[in-house]
Amino acid sequence: MAVLSRKDLRVAVIGLGKMGLLHSCILNVLPNVKLAAVCEKSGMIRRFLRGLFKNVPVYDEVERLSRLDLDAACVTTPIPSHFAIVKLLYSEGVTRNIFVEKTLASNYRQAKELCMLARRFGGTNMVGYTRRFAVTFSKAKALLDEDAIGEVTSFRTYAYSADFADGGGDGAGSTRGGVLMDLGCHAVDLALWFFGDLDVGTAKINSLFDGSSEDSVHFRVKTRDLQGEFDVSWCKPNYRMPEVGFAINGSKGTLEANDDLVQLKLRNDGPVRWYRHDLNDNVDFSLGGPEYFREDQRFVNLSMNDGEADVNFECAAKTDEIIAKVTSRAEKNE
Amino acid sequence: MSDVKEKVLLVGDNPFHGISHLSQERSRSRGFDLTLAEQAANLVMISHRNGADGFMFSVSDLTLSILRKISEYGGNVSLDLYPIVPYMYEYVRMANRLGGIPGLAKKFARELIMSGNLKSVAYGLDAAARADPTSLTKAYLAYEISRTKSSAGKQASLRSMLIHQAITDMALALDMDWFFEVCIDFLSNQRIIPGFNTGNLVYLANKFKAWGLGLERILIAAPFNKTGFQMNPSRTECEKILSSSKSSMVIAVSIFAAGYLNPSEAIDYIATLPHLKGVAVGVSKEKQARETFKLLQGGLGLEPSGLCCPAGTRA
Repeated sequence: MAVLSRKDLRVAVIGLGKMGLLHSCILNVLPNVKLAAVCEKSGMIRRFLRGLFKNVPVYDEVERLSRLDLDAACVTTPIPSHFAIVKLLYSEGVTRNIFVEKTLASNYRQAKELCMLARRFGGTNMVGYTRRFAVTFSKAKALLDEDAIGEVTSFRTYAYSADFADGGGDGAGSTRGGVLMDLGCHAVDLALWFFGDLDVGTAKINSLFDGSSEDSVHFRVKTRDLQGEFDVSWCKPNYRMPEVGFAINGSKGTLEANDDLVQLKLRNDGPVRWYRHDLNDNVDFSLGGPEYFREDQRFVNLSMNDGEADVNFECAAKTDEIIAKVTSRAEKNE
Repeated sequence: MSDVKEKVLLVGDNPFHGISHLSQERSRSRGFDLTLAEQAANLVMISHRNGADGFMFSVSDLTLSILRKISEYGGNVSLDLYPIVPYMYEYVRMANRLGGIPGLAKKFARELIMSGNLKSVAYGLDAAARADPTSLTKAYLAYEISRTKSSAGKQASLRSMLIHQAITDMALALDMDWFFEVCIDFLSNQRIIPGFNTGNLVYLANKFKAWGLGLERILIAAPFNKTGFQMNPSRTECEKILSSSKSSMVIAVSIFAAGYLNPSEAIDYIATLPHLKGVAVGVSKEKQARETFKLLQGGLGLEPSGLCCPAGTRA
């Protein structure tokens, strides 16, 4: 295992929208990490960043990062640019420790190519499926792993937000890649984490605004022993914050989990409920939710030790594959 | 800047925005009629009559409407105001809808110009011309002060203006000492107590110490509750900072841990904390508004008299 010998991990953040800012902040407070550069395409944002960031160079092109002796990079640009940027990071020798915000790529073909590159170059690669670091979903995973509800037979999951509950937002939804890629990917990733590989069954995509937007998606999945159902929408009134939730049926009882709580109900027993309060949700520095700190801390630790992330490119590509299959099934009206 | 004579009790606005940090389901199920400004204004006024000194709120169209209603119906209600800016939820949502930060910046520039506030516009033009974050900060604060004061009427007092938790914590993380200095100087010059809402109290206290900025000039709003919920890195560390900061002005928020604790156990814990300068709690029902502040007064053994500010701070 090639462990970094020097003290600080030198990291660059590429794309300084809200997620880029969030990761920059957390990386800057993590011990043994140096935010060594930021890279942003927008000239207007770059001008302000130079005033904001102390002693951190601001660049416009990814290629310019290759001279900085970086140990790791976080890619937080819009999804359609992930593929080109990650390829550049590898080909220009910028770094082989790469974190990419979800989803890995904008289609499965690109995701597979990035997996090939990751295998060739090695290093740590990780995709930002933050909810795996939320205490409620971690608790649900632990309960499933210890067969708390016996053999799982079916599940329903949802991913809802009110982002476009009152209209289409001048096409902004399309630039975000549609609701399945933007929000539903979290439910898909968690389902893969909980239950393993899934086959896509019937699927339906609804466009509620301009005909090209993808605003709500409903689809079914199955394995040999298990059936599941996904409902995804960013037009749900009253979902002030994006929320992902699961209701899971097993041979011994049911398990419900969402961003706020986990509830286990075994046959003939009353429910047992864990809120985030009960699950040790504190971190050294919280911004945007404790899970982001845990996620970045994990990436940094793995990068320092040449470790392999659970949610690496290979793992995240499975989510891209399911999204591609859902889109294909929906287009064929299957 | 002034000292605090007594603990202050503030009514918070989270329930008016449909926020529950316990569960989103809970906020959905408790109904959204609270988002009607008139009902929310009524709750604030009932809270005030029953012991609340002031109103801590995120500055949004809704809360500005609430202020207008209080001014309209409240008559001589003399309410102390503790606005939190910016209302991050709305800005993040707008950024999502407008295609990111550049779209949001354009919208804000338009709003600044439309506000007609000359000070804001002047700082805003300077910020745009020189890409100067200092001027941008001043333009933004001037804009928020202006629209808060114009909605609040003459009876209300703008005691403090607090920077939202997300912005405070981002500025801490990025070592932006200049940002805190600008906020403190600009607001102090307006005879408004500069405030910062944070989810990282310990980190803030350590940074301020490292930067040579005193905590005594600022108001801090930070979570304090028996379960340690949102108290990062831990309840013990937050309590230590409070114990060692005799001259600081810390307002406890999330004292009920988002409804996880019952009022008596929550207040019993808060009563044990030394040097706490106040408490902010949200209420969603008239009965709650009547009872909560009485309970707090009794539990904390106090008769509220408010923050002591220099003269001329009436909104």
